[in-house]
Amino acid sequence: MAREPDPRLQHSSAADSQSDVADEIDDAALAAVMEHVPLGAGVLAGTAVALLVLGYLLIYALVFIPRGTVG
Amino acid sequence: MSERQPEMQERRILGTELLWSFGVGVLVAATLSIIVFTALTMGINPPSNVERADPKTLHLSGEFAEHNLGTSVAADGSVTARIIATQFMFVPHCIAVPEGRPVTLRFAAPDVIHGILITGTNVNTMVVPGFVAQVHTQFTRSGDLLMPCHEYCGLGHSEMWATVQVVPERAFRPDGNGRVSCAQR
Repeated sequence: MAREPDPRLQHSSAADSQSDVADEIDDAALAAVMEHVPLGAGVLAGTAVALLVLGYLLIYALVFIPRGTVG
Repeated sequence: MSERQPEMQERRILGTELLWSFGVGVLVAATLSIIVFTALTMGINPPSNVERADPKTLHLSGEFAEHNLGTSVAADGSVTARIIATQFMFVPHCIAVPEGRPVTLRFAAPDVIHGILITGTNVNTMVVPGFVAQVHTQFTRSGDLLMPCHEYCGLGHSEMWATVQVVPERAFRPDGNGRVSCAQR
């Protein structure tokens, strides 16, 4: 929960908002999470690229080629 | 946490990155192969032609003189359409071309840079003053196609368009001079 700004201060602090304060994470927990990150990122990026390539191939085969030769 | 664990993680991440790089390399190679394959087997490639034409005398003599514009069929049966793109019209305003037969489109501009595309086809090129823009194509369906200027050329740019009338082979009849005009409808 956000802390009430100190009325004596002329500026606001980054710590006024809870979302701006770094989480307390211990190294072991971070290492445990990092073990699985490459796989998740790979699946996400792989799916995105696969969809992009599929879209390219569909447009190429169903739109570009039927439009006839050009050169 | 053991000492070896971060090293193993680094190795695993490196392995994932190398795998990803390999996958991307395969995709790039596949895309280039498709482009080269269609270029070699189907003749699909970006129009490329370096040929000069003096914009100052374009309409006075030579290939783009007024009497020579439009579609003509040569003695060997090849079909060529010559069009001038100028602010803010195409001359002629309509060109007739045959369906299912190779056609050469030749464009020239006397004033500023124009561009053309023909809807529903892959025909798309810039028309630069001083050069002849040439596109080889084959129209697969008969009907009237719109050919607008697609490069902003001035205030009347949006009014600059022409019609490409693709007619069936049997209806494509050149006159005694080998010229074909759009049918009146």
